[in-house]
Amino acid sequence: MRFIQLTKGDIRFQYKYGFYFLYLIFSLLYISVAYVLPRDWRQTAVLAMVFTDPAALGLFFMGAIILYEKSERVLDALAVSPVKVSEYVASKLFSIGLISSLAALLIAVSSCLSFQPFYFISAVFMGSCLFSSFGLMLAAKSSTLNEFILSTIPFQIAINLPALAYLFGWQPVWLLIHPGASMIELMVAGRYRWPAFAVLLVSSGLACYLAYKVIRKMFSTLGGAKL
Amino acid sequence: MKAILSSFRVFIRQIVRDDMLWAVCLAPVLAGLFFRFAVPAADRWLAQTLDGELLLADYYLLFDLMLNLMTPYMFCFAAAMVMLTEYDENIAVYMAITPVGKTGYIISRLLMPGILSVPAGMLATGIFSLTDWPIGRLIIVSLLSSLLSLAVALLVVSFSSNRVEGMALAKLSGLMMMGLPVPFFIVSNHQYWFSVLPSFWIARLGVGQNDLYAVPAAITSVIWILILYRKFERKLSG
Repeated sequence: MRFIQLTKGDIRFQYKYGFYFLYLIFSLLYISVAYVLPRDWRQTAVLAMVFTDPAALGLFFMGAIILYEKSERVLDALAVSPVKVSEYVASKLFSIGLISSLAALLIAVSSCLSFQPFYFISAVFMGSCLFSSFGLMLAAKSSTLNEFILSTIPFQIAINLPALAYLFGWQPVWLLIHPGASMIELMVAGRYRWPAFAVLLVSSGLACYLAYKVIRKMFSTLGGAKL
Repeated sequence: MKAILSSFRVFIRQIVRDDMLWAVCLAPVLAGLFFRFAVPAADRWLAQTLDGELLLADYYLLFDLMLNLMTPYMFCFAAAMVMLTEYDENIAVYMAITPVGKTGYIISRLLMPGILSVPAGMLATGIFSLTDWPIGRLIIVSLLSSLLSLAVALLVVSFSSNRVEGMALAKLSGLMMMGLPVPFFIVSNHQYWFSVLPSFWIARLGVGQNDLYAVPAAITSVIWILILYRKFERKLSG
């Protein structure tokens, strides 16, 4: 119940601060770009756009969300409330995952991408949880926006480069160990979709667990005292 | 002036502490190296593979323009992020009532990075450009890119009431750059739908090899700056 309330609060917050509006605008932009491109390129381009933007939005925005909550003392209030750290982390990941999935679905449907909804949504949602978990970990350790933005760069490179290489045709089977490549394979519902599903599930689950540990530590040191 | 310089030193110290200064300096160099060496190499490889002509050669100017605009954009983006943090922590409003004053705060956080970004943009484009740039045009385009970046920073800071909105606006402000590819891809008069964007006129200047396009580029930038500055000033007044 608390998880639902927290998620509702997060969705309201994200709506108020324009996330839904922003992703509506960007989705329309991506759809327009998809139609301008030659038909042969469309599938690859749409997958690249979905992978690098809506799916990865948690890595971009989590810093601002957490730093704002720190400065407004929201976290201090939550720390002394019955809310569990796991519920806090889950609500953040779920609410961001929802925007990612909605935007990705809108782009995919409107640009006539051939896709299987279950695999596509699973890939985007789990990928979003992976990106957002890294965002949460980095945000917990940052004190300014610039510091957060810079700290995300190595993660963006580490996740994006192998995945984009996979998308653009370099597809050795062993590369599916990489969660980004698995996400691409699952989005297109390729031959190895079930191993890719397993890799993505395990890696995003592990990232969520690590994010939980980092946030729990952050909550226990709020206000300068160690609880 | 002493107070403004001191405030600027605080700004520099903050971006040094965040390592953002290195990123601001390094990003144009990395992008420049990529554009200068990887793009032509990829183009040659594509031409060989497809047994055709160079595909990207027509767009080398677009890469140069992107590099020229990216340099001041990075400077002003870092400044906008610092101002957002300072606004959230109420430092910006306090600064306005110190000897630095509102004008001094704006000069130290916006104008000085903007001015510094002009030679930086010229240097990056001069070193890594894929096409020939007469020095006069390089100066004009760098000045215009800097003006546009100031407008972007003002947009991010003026319309956001906290850093979360600021990040959303920072992403949205990327649309201000959308004018750059327009003259390269839309040859009909439909391209003028983008004429409210200074970046469109900057690209027209490059494509048309006509420095007169600097006039609408400057006018549109100044209009954006004036509109946004009013909002920004009201925000600083609390």
